[in-house]
Amino acid sequence: MSRKRVLIVDDEIHIVHVVAIKLRNNDYEVISADNGAEAFELACSEKPDIIVTDFQMPVMTGLELVEKVRQCEETKDIPVILLTARNFAIEEQQQEDLQISQCLSKPFSPKELLENIEDILYHRAVVNRQV
Amino acid sequence: MKSVRNLYVIVTGVVAVSLLAGGLAEWLDSGTEEGGRFAGYVQRVPVVPACHIVGAVGVIWLGWYWLKLAGGITSIARRLKANSIMDSRFRGNDKRKASGNAVIDELSEALSEALVRYSNVIGELEKQINDLQIQIQLTQRQKGNIEAIIYSIHDGVIVIDEFDRLLMANEAAGGLFNFNFRSSQHRRIGELIDEGKSEFVDFLRQSRQSKAQPTRKEIEFLEDGKLKTFDCIVSCIYDESRQVCGVVAVLHDVTREKQISQIKNDFVNHVCHELKTPLASISAYSEMLSDGEAKDGRTRKEFYAVIQNQAIRLNRLIEDVLNISRIESGLVKVDKGPVSLTILIEEQLQMIKSYAEEKNICLKDIGQSRIVFDQVYADKDMISQVIVNLLSNAVKYTPSGGSIKIETEVDETANVARLSVTDTGVGIPENEIEHVFDKFYRVSTNKNQAKGTGLGLNLVKQIVEKVHDGRVFVSSKPGAGSTFGFELPLATREVVESLPVTSRG
Repeated sequence: MSRKRVLIVDDEIHIVHVVAIKLRNNDYEVISADNGAEAFELACSEKPDIIVTDFQMPVMTGLELVEKVRQCEETKDIPVILLTARNFAIEEQQQEDLQISQCLSKPFSPKELLENIEDILYHRAVVNRQV
Repeated sequence: MKSVRNLYVIVTGVVAVSLLAGGLAEWLDSGTEEGGRFAGYVQRVPVVPACHIVGAVGVIWLGWYWLKLAGGITSIARRLKANSIMDSRFRGNDKRKASGNAVIDELSEALSEALVRYSNVIGELEKQINDLQIQIQLTQRQKGNIEAIIYSIHDGVIVIDEFDRLLMANEAAGGLFNFNFRSSQHRRIGELIDEGKSEFVDFLRQSRQSKAQPTRKEIEFLEDGKLKTFDCIVSCIYDESRQVCGVVAVLHDVTREKQISQIKNDFVNHVCHELKTPLASISAYSEMLSDGEAKDGRTRKEFYAVIQNQAIRLNRLIEDVLNISRIESGLVKVDKGPVSLTILIEEQLQMIKSYAEEKNICLKDIGQSRIVFDQVYADKDMISQVIVNLLSNAVKYTPSGGSIKIETEVDETANVARLSVTDTGVGIPENEIEHVFDKFYRVSTNKNQAKGTGLGLNLVKQIVEKVHDGRVFVSSKPGAGSTFGFELPLATREVVESLPVTSRG
């Protein structure tokens, strides 16, 4: 079974670094970007299994990135986890519309993030098998 | 009364004629010649006794009439005295025993007393009239004052009756709804206020119909193309039978308060976000360390360093917020002394150098006066903070490959030292330049270029202008770059020379 690929997007280099270490230690392949625009290009070219993105970033915000990902045929089904330091950053309806799998509030636990990633990928695999 | 008077005249005449006739008959009877001739005619009838009888009856009637008249006068006098404490004096006279003089005296006395009493009453009434006139004047003056107060209130005040007709409106209300009160009085409020502001009219009607206690609502109007928010308080006016006879509405412009509230909310959001970011790193790295995710000593050391740096960053942010708060409230501790701007710039350039090199940005320090005369009388730490904020902003908003120029100059004519930082960055749109020093303001087009709290430039302004009586300045061209700088008053030569050489700079 091939390693799952995770795209981490955050302009805080330390956050990217710590999440990457946590995921690599758990046998994930990690690619990263520090803004939404760069992340979208990577999503199109590298086809990650899941995207973990910060909400507020320069050039393109996390929300703008998710909107773009959902509009693109090649990336529209990629599950997304949104990390945010803002409370009530998005409404439930918006989360549903953009098919954001999970919103995690900063400060977050890398362990909790890993568990969320595993859950989402597991459910996706089950659904894909059923289809 | 007239017939009684006539009767009295007739009876008096009959009595007088009877008495005269009786006297004449006796004279004839006395035997004079003329009397003897006439007596011949009258001796045939009993004239004398008849005359005497008629005279006697007349006298009796007159007496009776006089008593009746006296009784009437006494009654009038008693009525006049009816409310007087002297009334008791008349109670004993009910039997109409008073003689004519006594009655006249009583009447005179009663009339005098009544006259005195009515004079007193008239005096009292005149006094009351005077008091009332004074009260009317006072009331009119108070009414005028109240009207003047209501008219001069900055808030809009509108009073309507139970039929929605305008009873009163002050100038602010007239200005707000574009009507003139004098020419609009008694017109229906719905006709005076245009449809764009009909929410207010509906609110007035609802408040009146619900007969509720004062009701409050925030209503937004478009005024001169700008959206304004008004806090409307409507109270019902009740008549004596507790029926609603109108409503009074007060409209307070809370646009500014709303903006301030929004700025405060944005501030809380910004600060929370900025605090959470380093906190997230500290939390994540700590967890990784405790979970044994740092496999080797080098990684552990790296994790500890991140935690330490993020803690410093967190502390700096808190210090920035507190410094602004302290400066604004006047509680900041200032430690002023003569300092050289040139030396401070050199120190801060060392701090920012690695950040600029990371972005491949060239730093050019063009110091004009590397001599003691660029000394200013200032708080060294605060001015260092100002310089580092300007330099880090310039690096932050300058694209890779750009350059930053730092200039100092001494203007002895103006008695100031001037520092300016010019970058080749993204620049600021003209309409936003005046806001760049506002607290938490971030240039809309540059928000996504780099992270920031919007506190740095505000802190620069507070330190330079509020603490050091200096001046900040900015000029910019979108796409070409910006120049930010400040001027500080030069330290006087006496101050500089009074200090030991080691403490200079």
